[in-house]
Amino acid sequence: MFFYGFMQRAFQASFLISLIAPILGLFLILRRQSLMADTLSHVSLAGVALGMLMGVNPTITNLLVVVGVAILLEYLRIIYRSYSEISIAILMSGGMAVALVLMGLNNGGGTVSIDQFLFGSIVTISQQQIWMLLILTIVILILYIVFRKPMYILTFDEETAFTAGLPIKVMSILFNVLTGITIAIIMPIVGALLVSAIIVLPAAISMRLSKSFTGVILIGILISVFGMITGLMSSYQFGTPPGATVTLVFIAVFIVTLSFNKVKSRIQANNI
Amino acid sequence: MHYIEVDNLAFHYENEPVLDNISFQVNSGEFVMLTGENGAAKTTLLRNILGLLKPTKGSVQLSKKNRWGTKLVVGYVPQQVASFNAGFPSTVLELVQSGRYPRGRWFKKLDKEDKEHVRRSLESVGMWDMRHKKIGELSGGQKQRISIARIFATDPDLFVLDEPTTGMDVESREEFYKLLKHNSEVHGKGVLMVTHDHEELKQYVDKHIELIRKEDSPWRCFSMDSCKEPSKHHSLSH
Repeated sequence: MFFYGFMQRAFQASFLISLIAPILGLFLILRRQSLMADTLSHVSLAGVALGMLMGVNPTITNLLVVVGVAILLEYLRIIYRSYSEISIAILMSGGMAVALVLMGLNNGGGTVSIDQFLFGSIVTISQQQIWMLLILTIVILILYIVFRKPMYILTFDEETAFTAGLPIKVMSILFNVLTGITIAIIMPIVGALLVSAIIVLPAAISMRLSKSFTGVILIGILISVFGMITGLMSSYQFGTPPGATVTLVFIAVFIVTLSFNKVKSRIQANNI
Repeated sequence: MHYIEVDNLAFHYENEPVLDNISFQVNSGEFVMLTGENGAAKTTLLRNILGLLKPTKGSVQLSKKNRWGTKLVVGYVPQQVASFNAGFPSTVLELVQSGRYPRGRWFKKLDKEDKEHVRRSLESVGMWDMRHKKIGELSGGQKQRISIARIFATDPDLFVLDEPTTGMDVESREEFYKLLKHNSEVHGKGVLMVTHDHEELKQYVDKHIELIRKEDSPWRCFSMDSCKEPSKHHSLSH
């Protein structure tokens, strides 16, 4: 399978996604925005549908729509501070509804099936998508290295960050925009239905394995690489959908980690 | 030098007044305690001072510079800090080290002096041996102590503390008050601290602000009569 060009590109894309997903995933979890990835991926579908209806490149409309909604999400998060999931519910269902209406209006006019965006097509990824992903990965890694300390404080406690003199509104909006761009780029690869699982699960697993913040990011990247590559290989072997297979591998790792931690704490309790 | 200057401040939640006619200053080298009954809007007043809330009337000036003319660094310990995000993936050391970031370390590596500050801060609250523990594994009292260590690691020009001694035993509280007094008296730091332990604290402070309920208001609205100078004064100069 390693000699096929499409599989090589799939492995390259998987590796690049593995480097950035745990970083965004950890910050999303800590800011209680795990469902934001899901929301933006649904909105992303509307962006694609809009591009198809207007007859312009769907990647451009997708990026514009997702970035706009990512900014709107931050605004709604401030308004509904106590019930931030309200904004998620509104925008997730709204995004899907707009996508379906736009597709209905475009009946028969599109050249690309919506299924491709719903379920992803990592094995049909183009070289252009690999380049976009590579640039995005470099940008996110540089931003993480430069801004990891301010982001640590921002995710720990926004009021502490504010009194420390950090521009918390600007940082929150930029983080949302970056998440939006990432989702707009990886959604056609892994699929709208699974994009949040691929972003959130590696970080959720590594949070159970490491005590330190840096450790969570590093272990998250290792888990992500393992899950993406194992999932892709299994998908090739068993002929199953790649995105779904990768997600099931992550869920299996999550269950194993949970069981391991429970057994470990029981042993420790017995030893005391 | 005024680090905090509150002038005729009033604050309303929706249309309901909770604070009215509040005026006082906290100066460099001054230790000020803020007291009041439960629900006296003490935290609301601190949040107005820090810019987390906007006053409905009057003004709050938080000095931009410290007494040496460089940027004023504020160290804030919120109320019930011990209930902070228990699942936050961080060691005690990482969290206390983060206290150094506002000291020009956002984009620079911590140097030897920073690490020494962190070590001394953790030792001062007896938490150095716990530095590699995950913060979620600590008890409420231990979390309180590392929050205080984090503030001391920052070495701020102005301490703004909202009931920071909740859950601490008498000896630890005494130690903490002495440390704050030393910081204000010897190092010229400003301290504004909300507390319910005013009897214990009064011998250390320079000024006492008490929020009292306004009798002429139909609302639970609080004001202050005047700043009191405490009768005893405990000097820690050395």
